[in-house]
Amino acid sequence: MQFPALQPDSLGCEAAQQLPVAVVNEQHCIVQLNAVAGQRGIALNMALGTAAALCPNLQLLPYQPQLQLNILQSVAQQLYQVTADIALDPPDGLYIRLCNMLQLYQGLAGYWQALSRELKLLPYRYYYASGATPFAAKCLARQQLNLLTGEPDALATALNHSPLRFTELDTDSQQQLQRLGINTLGQLLALAQAELARRFDSSLLSYLGRLRGSFYHALHYIKPEHSFSRYVELLYDIIDTAVLSKPLQALLQQLEQQLQRINAACHQLQLSLLFRGMPAHRLSIGSAQGEYRAANWLKLCQLQLDKLKLTEPVSGLQLEVTAFVAQQSQSDDLFQPVPGAVSPLQLVSLLQARLGYHCVSGLTLQNQHLPEQASQRPLPLLAGKSAVTALALRPAFLLAKPQQLTETVEISHGPERLCPDGWALDAQRDYFIGRNSKGQWLWLYRTAQQQWFVQGIFS
Amino acid sequence: MSALLEQLARRQLVWQGNSQHTAYQAVSSGYAELDQQLAGGFPASGLIDIQTGPGIGELRLLLPYLQQQQSSGRLLVLISPPAQPCADMLCAAGIVLSQLVIVTPKTSKDALWAAEQCLQSGCCASVLLWQVPLKLAQARRLQLAAEQGAASVILLRRPMDGLSLPVNLSIKLQPHRQGVLLSVQKRKGGWPAAPFLVDMQNRWPGLCFTTEQHWQARRKAS
Repeated sequence: MQFPALQPDSLGCEAAQQLPVAVVNEQHCIVQLNAVAGQRGIALNMALGTAAALCPNLQLLPYQPQLQLNILQSVAQQLYQVTADIALDPPDGLYIRLCNMLQLYQGLAGYWQALSRELKLLPYRYYYASGATPFAAKCLARQQLNLLTGEPDALATALNHSPLRFTELDTDSQQQLQRLGINTLGQLLALAQAELARRFDSSLLSYLGRLRGSFYHALHYIKPEHSFSRYVELLYDIIDTAVLSKPLQALLQQLEQQLQRINAACHQLQLSLLFRGMPAHRLSIGSAQGEYRAANWLKLCQLQLDKLKLTEPVSGLQLEVTAFVAQQSQSDDLFQPVPGAVSPLQLVSLLQARLGYHCVSGLTLQNQHLPEQASQRPLPLLAGKSAVTALALRPAFLLAKPQQLTETVEISHGPERLCPDGWALDAQRDYFIGRNSKGQWLWLYRTAQQQWFVQGIFS
Repeated sequence: MSALLEQLARRQLVWQGNSQHTAYQAVSSGYAELDQQLAGGFPASGLIDIQTGPGIGELRLLLPYLQQQQSSGRLLVLISPPAQPCADMLCAAGIVLSQLVIVTPKTSKDALWAAEQCLQSGCCASVLLWQVPLKLAQARRLQLAAEQGAASVILLRRPMDGLSLPVNLSIKLQPHRQGVLLSVQKRKGGWPAAPFLVDMQNRWPGLCFTTEQHWQARRKAS
């Protein structure tokens, strides 16, 4: 399968499809073009000057091998849903092994129907052909034959008529063969191998061997990824965080698709806002309960984006997920259905996203007799040690810092002596419960120096 | 005549005597005299307004109720508590700490937002909200969110005069040596009641003066 124009076709917007777009390489030679550019008379391998003369409003993109590879990988991931063995053939091809899928789809017609349904969802143009070996199929696909058949005779005829420029042979060998009067692959295949070996180097023989299928051709089949990383270049700079949610939603939807396919969820997203003149701003958005739905992630992202003040317009968005987890279905109570589909973990994530991580906490009881150390504020919804027994008569609220007692109180209970360490007798405190004139119940202590402090309030 | 009555009833301007018991579902407060006054206890859902000074026993009054609310496995949320909550006291009162979430927002706007989210979620049984100024529309919003999530929101604020809020129950607490002095200011499907004493001597003997101590103090003073 060959994709002639991955880069121009990946420009998603409507406006880009109305304009002639071409991709030029470093030698100023046109390597890819979209349909509109083709209609204006621009052809592949045309020099940049000629193309610009033919079509003054030609939009040019630089050729980016890494981007090309990323697009190819995303196509392969998409097709992986319907077919098992896919190998990449950079820069613009995919090998798909048919033989082990035909039984599942009950023949070539059914298989092609499933495959083309997936391909229709993608914006890329493609050409395809089948063959007995990878190189045979590639040679036919590059001729843009769109030949899909299982009959060996038809394939052999097509292959024999293939001109040499569609093969993998280097230009020197092709020229040498043309000087010998060999123009098609059929003529080359008809020659005896021993004769060829005497005149040409081993690469020609190895190619022919793999074309015939007499040599083994190793392919690296892709495996589904367990991470997600997508970048979207914004068509115009965005300063308003509310507008950002639109391109972000598209990214999250892609994530949802990928997660849904492998029945996974993720706990954390890394969202980077890229600026032109500043280092990228990274946000990490978490969901305590693993989440895959784009709508829920978008809600969490928006809460974080709302807090953000952008000083410079955003030029690109990068979304990364490094770890996936298995989706866990939670069982709800059948007899007492609780209204609202939010679980405690989801609620906590929502609160954390808007208020900040440190503003939402739980409470655990530690096995400590000192009041400052007995309560701890960890992350919420964690089960603490259950064996710890609570001490009797402790206040509901502890002041962050003990305050000097400045009013008269009526003591009702005490003293209770607490000592931080067995030997630090100077630091020992005698605790009392007292009631002041306003009727408030206070937790007081007297230090060894006979000073009185308020440490807590019984509410 | 009946058409007019029907019209008034539809606009909720007329209360009928037989609809009293359906005003709200009550959960026992744990104090017998209070249950009797409130016809069963505190409301299981909706807005409860408590006007109280800090530290006079308002949380002790609520703890048995909160513990029952939590027993369904749902969360208890404390929003902007006045100081660091103490695990010992809550644990001793039977509150499950793993079902407790403490939220400390920076602004009262965030506090109200958090309260509304918690109430709507359906996974919280009760939300305690401290000292947040509440307008009529915001109170109505909280009330609706609470009904949607079948949760109760308890607003603890200083006694103040102002417009009456749309609440299921509004009570005012005053300090007392044997507990708290409680007056019902407004109750859905009921009448306001005169101040009465909620006696905490059985539940919290360490935090009450017994009558003997009381008379001793009187004698000293005289």
